[in-house]
Amino acid sequence: MSHNVKILPGATVCEDCTLEGDITIGGGTVIHPRVTIIAEGGPIIIAEYCIIEEYSTIIHKKSDKQENPPKPLFIGAHNVFEVGCKLESPCGHIGESNVFECRSFVGVDVKIGSGCVIGAACRLTAPQTLADNTVIWGSEHHVREALEKQPSQLLQLDFLSKVMPNYHRLRKPNVHKRQPSTRQSQESSPKP
Amino acid sequence: MAYLTQPDYVKYICSCGQLKPITSLYFCRHCLKIRCGFCICHEVDSHYCANCLENMPSSEARLKKNRCSSCFDCPSCFHTLSTRATMAQPRQVVQDPAAGGDTKVESKQPKKMYYLSCFNCRWTSRDVGIPDQPVASGGWPERTNPHAARVNQLLDYYKAIALQEKQEKIERERKKFNIRGKYITLTDKTGLTGAMARNIAGLPSSESSSSAIASFVPSQATEEVEELPEDIFTKEVNLNQITSMPQRLASPEWQPSSVSRLHPLAKLLSVKRSQRCRACDHNLTKPEYNPGSIKFKIELLAYYHVPEVKIISHEPVKPGGKSALLLKLTNPTGHEMQLRLLQPEDIPPPEEKEEPKSIEKSLERSLNLEKDTTSLKPIEVTCEQPATSRVSAPDVTLTLAQRDDAAEYDDDAQHDTNDIIMWRKSNKLALRLEVVTDEGAEGGAPAVAKVALQYSYRNTVPPAAAAATPRDHTLYTTVLLDLGTVSSN
Repeated sequence: MSHNVKILPGATVCEDCTLEGDITIGGGTVIHPRVTIIAEGGPIIIAEYCIIEEYSTIIHKKSDKQENPPKPLFIGAHNVFEVGCKLESPCGHIGESNVFECRSFVGVDVKIGSGCVIGAACRLTAPQTLADNTVIWGSEHHVREALEKQPSQLLQLDFLSKVMPNYHRLRKPNVHKRQPSTRQSQESSPKP
Repeated sequence: MAYLTQPDYVKYICSCGQLKPITSLYFCRHCLKIRCGFCICHEVDSHYCANCLENMPSSEARLKKNRCSSCFDCPSCFHTLSTRATMAQPRQVVQDPAAGGDTKVESKQPKKMYYLSCFNCRWTSRDVGIPDQPVASGGWPERTNPHAARVNQLLDYYKAIALQEKQEKIERERKKFNIRGKYITLTDKTGLTGAMARNIAGLPSSESSSSAIASFVPSQATEEVEELPEDIFTKEVNLNQITSMPQRLASPEWQPSSVSRLHPLAKLLSVKRSQRCRACDHNLTKPEYNPGSIKFKIELLAYYHVPEVKIISHEPVKPGGKSALLLKLTNPTGHEMQLRLLQPEDIPPPEEKEEPKSIEKSLERSLNLEKDTTSLKPIEVTCEQPATSRVSAPDVTLTLAQRDDAAEYDDDAQHDTNDIIMWRKSNKLALRLEVVTDEGAEGGAPAVAKVALQYSYRNTVPPAAAAATPRDHTLYTTVLLDLGTVSSN
């Protein structure tokens, strides 16, 4: 079931979550318990320094016009998925530094740029493309354009990756990628 | 609590004729009448900021235009802005690389800087180019109103006019009663003129006010209006860059048309209100002064004095038919209550007690000449609400025990039931009644049943004043019950 899950060193992935299909989780990413990630339509690649909070669901849905080999769902770095959000996206790419607030819903055929905020309980169902730094908020789905990207959650990430092992069983990183990145080398596990 | 989010199924008729749920009614213990928000006086007790809970005297509030000086609202979504801190590296002097590495590198401590941010729509003060502040509160740049000079000029002008009119009125009065008494006035004795007296009293002299009026230039309407820009119809509109109407109207002085001109809005102050009965001038509610407290010093709500009626369930209402109705009655007072159900038309008309014309009263009336008492008098209307159904009221007197908070924990319901009373538990009582609907009621029309309550009420107003008046009263109220719609067959 989960033998296809690749967890890079430095990632904090709780054991109590559902990971199905071909999933790659980048270093520095924190996945809370009770998260559901299902890659049925193709692989899901989650880049570095994402936070995926409790009860969030990321599904790479099967679609009729399936390409062969299936296109991966790539989720950029520094994305925050808050409690209970849902992302169903067969199409391609999600940028970086996005925030999916609590109980937000992003349906199929929504392309998301970088630095976007999907407000709490906002539902995006129509096919659309969000430009960079778009903020959607409120029950009437007001749209605003922010001047700059959302500030990164590095402090929070640091804290979570320190605290999480004290209270939860974690999945061990199973891929050792040799990367010339300095950050990676600092956090890499003492595996040879 | 009646129903928090549901429609109000049970409505009471206020003494002014309004229909209201019991939770939005007041009960005046001095007139022994139900009052509602429409027939009482609302007074402002104090101004405070709902965010920082700072109290402000009304004069200061007026000076600050009823806005808090330290709290801000988001100009984009009107949520309260919060202050966020960042560590900012102070700008270092860019060193010339050619100068070599021997120039000493300044290692300044990172400084804490603050900016405003909205947690709802993620608007920040950086979005519109407001520089970060070194202090957590205050110090935010204030924009000046472009029309400030004109507004002040107008204000001065109207003040001068008001002053002039007041003076003219006084003059006229003086001329009217130009009968010299036998007393010598100060001005006669000392030869002090009116202008000098005014000067001594520190009032503005009449000359200055007239100069303000004379130098005033009225606004002039002009036919020439600024032309629209050339590309107004051809340029593509980017709705993200344009402010919405609520956003513009939130800052009436600037009315920014572009998002980049939005500026934090100083938070509007809230007020604590007290309510006063118009008939007897007694306070109905009076909040505590402390803005952090939500308690009341005086709280004469109907919910604490009038028996509460709730619908448990009812059979569908059919034209010309009878249907069962289950009601729950609650006695909220600390005294035993005698209750009777009546037909609304059986309520005896209120006795018109003509107050004996005492000297005190007439004196009071003469003092109150200034305020027009006729407009303050509550209008008493008997509500002619059409009711499709009537509740067949049993001719029994029900006794409801006093409220006892400890009884909440007793489980055993008393079972002195009969064909009317279903059950009884401490101060509550469930009734089984019958509703008779008119033959002519149309199917689909709202079914409303009307019933009157007669209840005994013990007044606990200070005994000294109540010595002459009886403590126990028999009061009446009419209740409208919403029984859904009349079924069509």
